[in-house]
Amino acid sequence: MSAPVVGTDVPRVDGLEKVTGAAKYTADLKFPRLLHVAVVRSPHPHARVLDVRTDRAARMPGVRAVASGRDFPLHTGIYLKDQTVFATDRVRFVGDPVAAVAAETPELAAEAAAQVHVEYEPLPPIFDVEEGFAEGAPLVHPDLGSYEVVPWIRPKAGTNVCNHLKIRKGDYASALKGSWKVFENVFRVPQVQHVPMEPHVSVARVDLAGKVEVHSSAQSPFTVRHLLAHCFGLPHGDVRVHVPYVGGGFGGKAGINLEPIAVALAMRCRGRWVRLMVDRHEEFFATVVRQGLTATLVTGVDRHGKVQAQKMHYLWNCGGYGGYGVNIVRSAGYTCGGAYEFPNVEGDSIGVYTNRPVGSAYRGFGMQEIHWALEQQMDRVAVELGIDPAEFRLKNCLGAGKSTVTGQLLDEHAGRVDLCIRNVAKAIGFEPDRERTPYRGKGIACAVKAPAMPNDAASSVILKFAEDATLEILISGIDYGQGLMTVVAQFASEALDLPVEKIRVKGCPDTDLSPYDWQTVASRQTWATGNAVFRAASEIRGKLCATAAEALSVPAEELSLRGGAVVHEATGRALPFERLVMGYQFPDGHAIGGPVAAASSYLPEGLLFLDPETSQSAKPVAKWTFGAQAVSIAVDPETGQVTVEKVAACYDVGKVVNPALIKGQTYGGIVQGLGTGTMEELVLDPKTGRAVNASLMDYKIPSTEDVPAEMAVDFVETAQKDGPMGARGIGEHTMIPTPAAIANALWDACGIRISEMPITAEKVWRALKAKERAERGAKAAGEARVPAGTVA
Amino acid sequence: MPVDLDYLSPSAVDDAVALRASRPSAAFLLGGTDLLPQMRSGRRSPETLIDLKRIPELHEIRENEDGGLSVGAAVPLADVETHPVVLSRFPLLAECSKTVGAWPLRQRATLAGNVCNASPAADTAVALLALDAVVNVASTTGRLAMAISELFLGPGQTALMAGDLVTEIVLPGAAAGFRGSYQRLSRRKGMDLATVGVLVGKRDGAPASWRVALAAVAPTPLRVAAAEELLAAKGASAAREAAELAVAACRPITDLRGSAEYRREMVGVLVRRGVESLG
Repeated sequence: MSAPVVGTDVPRVDGLEKVTGAAKYTADLKFPRLLHVAVVRSPHPHARVLDVRTDRAARMPGVRAVASGRDFPLHTGIYLKDQTVFATDRVRFVGDPVAAVAAETPELAAEAAAQVHVEYEPLPPIFDVEEGFAEGAPLVHPDLGSYEVVPWIRPKAGTNVCNHLKIRKGDYASALKGSWKVFENVFRVPQVQHVPMEPHVSVARVDLAGKVEVHSSAQSPFTVRHLLAHCFGLPHGDVRVHVPYVGGGFGGKAGINLEPIAVALAMRCRGRWVRLMVDRHEEFFATVVRQGLTATLVTGVDRHGKVQAQKMHYLWNCGGYGGYGVNIVRSAGYTCGGAYEFPNVEGDSIGVYTNRPVGSAYRGFGMQEIHWALEQQMDRVAVELGIDPAEFRLKNCLGAGKSTVTGQLLDEHAGRVDLCIRNVAKAIGFEPDRERTPYRGKGIACAVKAPAMPNDAASSVILKFAEDATLEILISGIDYGQGLMTVVAQFASEALDLPVEKIRVKGCPDTDLSPYDWQTVASRQTWATGNAVFRAASEIRGKLCATAAEALSVPAEELSLRGGAVVHEATGRALPFERLVMGYQFPDGHAIGGPVAAASSYLPEGLLFLDPETSQSAKPVAKWTFGAQAVSIAVDPETGQVTVEKVAACYDVGKVVNPALIKGQTYGGIVQGLGTGTMEELVLDPKTGRAVNASLMDYKIPSTEDVPAEMAVDFVETAQKDGPMGARGIGEHTMIPTPAAIANALWDACGIRISEMPITAEKVWRALKAKERAERGAKAAGEARVPAGTVA
Repeated sequence: MPVDLDYLSPSAVDDAVALRASRPSAAFLLGGTDLLPQMRSGRRSPETLIDLKRIPELHEIRENEDGGLSVGAAVPLADVETHPVVLSRFPLLAECSKTVGAWPLRQRATLAGNVCNASPAADTAVALLALDAVVNVASTTGRLAMAISELFLGPGQTALMAGDLVTEIVLPGAAAGFRGSYQRLSRRKGMDLATVGVLVGKRDGAPASWRVALAAVAPTPLRVAAAEELLAAKGASAAREAAELAVAACRPITDLRGSAEYRREMVGVLVRRGVESLG
């Protein structure tokens, strides 16, 4: 056995391609006689569509195809099929596609799109989630009851509720009555956008034989194919999806997005390639966004500082469609208690349609949002009880022998949030007796997430050899920066004792040729594809050894793999892979074996549905990844500006596969968390429903200058039982606790709480002023106790 | 952006002015960092672009006999903020310039362009106001000089007539020697427009001279003469009073970057801090 490869800083296998520009992204691809698409979008947040007239646009010079709702009536949506390619009878957000035009130039397409006449009858819009949830609210989807839906998502016909997951554990009501102290708080998170470097783009062609071919900037080629086939009533075999390199997705390119519009137009101009590329402006409101959240938490504690009763009411602002978002609602439901053990729980996670942009997957899949609420709530309770926030978390956190909100009993392999808490507390200097400086503070927050996916979500791989014994690995997971291709090469290298240089990972899948993969989401690729790689490698090893055993006339069991050769230790005889991978030829000329290849897959085993009434389940998810972050901040008391000086992060990832990559992943997550936590919010005009900050001028994400001066990143390695070499997911978790940790540090620094994300300087300034006023008032009233300044 | 766009690149100022006069729908192009995005978004749609970058005269930075500096219209901000004379005699202009966009953008963006775009949040305009800059303009009727204080009329609006070409911006030698700070609040640290920008400058002497100028808190960049006079009379110990005068002078609006109330209060905080740091 050569030196270990897993656990070392193997350089990115796609690095050279990416830094030289050799790597091609969808928009780089050249197509002969390409047609360009302009989409006719609703200017109204909510309206009936009375008429769509496309005849004038269709007659314009250079226009090759026009399509609108009546031509494509089938519904699509990954979990809840609530959306058609184009709005048919009703539009549900500003930007909802009503029709589209394909023309010879982008300008001609835009001119023609402007000539599509749509007659609307405006309806009262709903932007606020509580308004949408209220009884008697106008319905965004009056036909909700007739939509096709997977059995584990529960829309409520006749309301705006597209999914409701209930957790009922223990006896919440009695536990609350018996509590020593009770705390209730409301927290809010606005919609935010993913802002990937590469906006969405899809190119489609329907050939003269009717076969559909798509190139798309997407996270999930097979799910795109599956949903396209459904939406257009085609056999899967007649739909082919290619995904070149992808310039960031963060969930926004999960499921299906622009592809149906491009395909619809391509069907009307067979043989021509049709490209739909949204610009940065449209990217903000016309693709997808993260859902908004209003969370109401009630916590009842006993005299020992142990939480006895916990109520969590999550209202999700899903926007106009919930096809994907309904599963975020579910995920937030079965994870509603975060990293804590709550014996008596009443949890409700409710998705509500509104007339805002469409909510969908976003790195963390609901977890940053609920942790914003939960981790601040835990902090408030700790502070009110006079218990150190880190100690309070340790007292209540999950671990071996503890049970989650779904009643799942964790074992010793589940991961150690306690170690993560201690680690970051130490790294940031969170000792209870630490020296205090005014307007400087430290905060801590935990994180947990499981992959939120159907129980049968699978990944598969194909391993095959080239003539020179280069191992080629076909995967359909997308490496859009997280390092999947490199990790796959490391696993194969480790399993076959083959140098990484002899491995080529084919990371740009083509559904006609590549093995099936459900989606690149849920922090599941290292784990699921990794497991498939080990299984396939085991098969490869068997084939190589069988041929070598015959060639060397030794028992196969006595053979091992070393440095790209099959070795018989006892005799010292060896056969390099080159002599085996295409079959072995004996001196007399006869040959055995044959081209060596293997295909294998991984599907999580033993997952059980949640009980429909209580959501209790012994194994609702494949795994949990726990972690914690702590921050130290400085607040300018006069301007409200917050500087995050240091962030410490620690996660129990089971096994660090590539230290450089996982550190990069974590730094990126922290910075993205800093963005949503302190600056991001998609703002709609309350009258028109239009996004008013749909540009990079008005919607800011962190720049390099905003990156914290210091980020201390560490990992715990409690091996995941069903993980490849013990590894579990980490991609999303890195951004979950950052905003809550900053919010908690604000309390520590200056005694204010911000319950509505993001923590802008102006909000901090207002809270400080409110606190000052309250203190003056209290002084005047001669009261000893000073209430905290708290603003929304 | 229109498909049919005439692109002209004259090599002399007079030719540029004449071309502009002959074409009713034309725009002068320098770095294009404001104009091109405006065209792309449809906010402006000129039919002709007259690129001024081939005019040698506009690329000059010239030291004047009075110790001042003339900056040609086509000189990029990156060259302005690193120019030895700017750094030694007009450091406040370098301070302000450094906050515009990012270094790569400032390789294209120009001082003249930043001024002509007339954004209330234009960072360099604050310095130019404080330094009594003069804007030299060429037009069909001849050349004239305009005090920068007369230039700004409102957001995106200047006293320039259609067809006027700013050839250079002159920093008078009499304004040399002011030191101080340009404090700027923004939603993020790198590459953002100012929510509030406050320049406070001081030149030692008997008595010392002061400069107070504000960005993003009024329809135009603003100079607060009353605060300057007060400080000249009373010195840095009058920081609070000067701040109050600045607060009284500003007329902020509420927008995505901040509320009027916050901006007004921040003017007070930043002016006070700026003065105190020079005390």
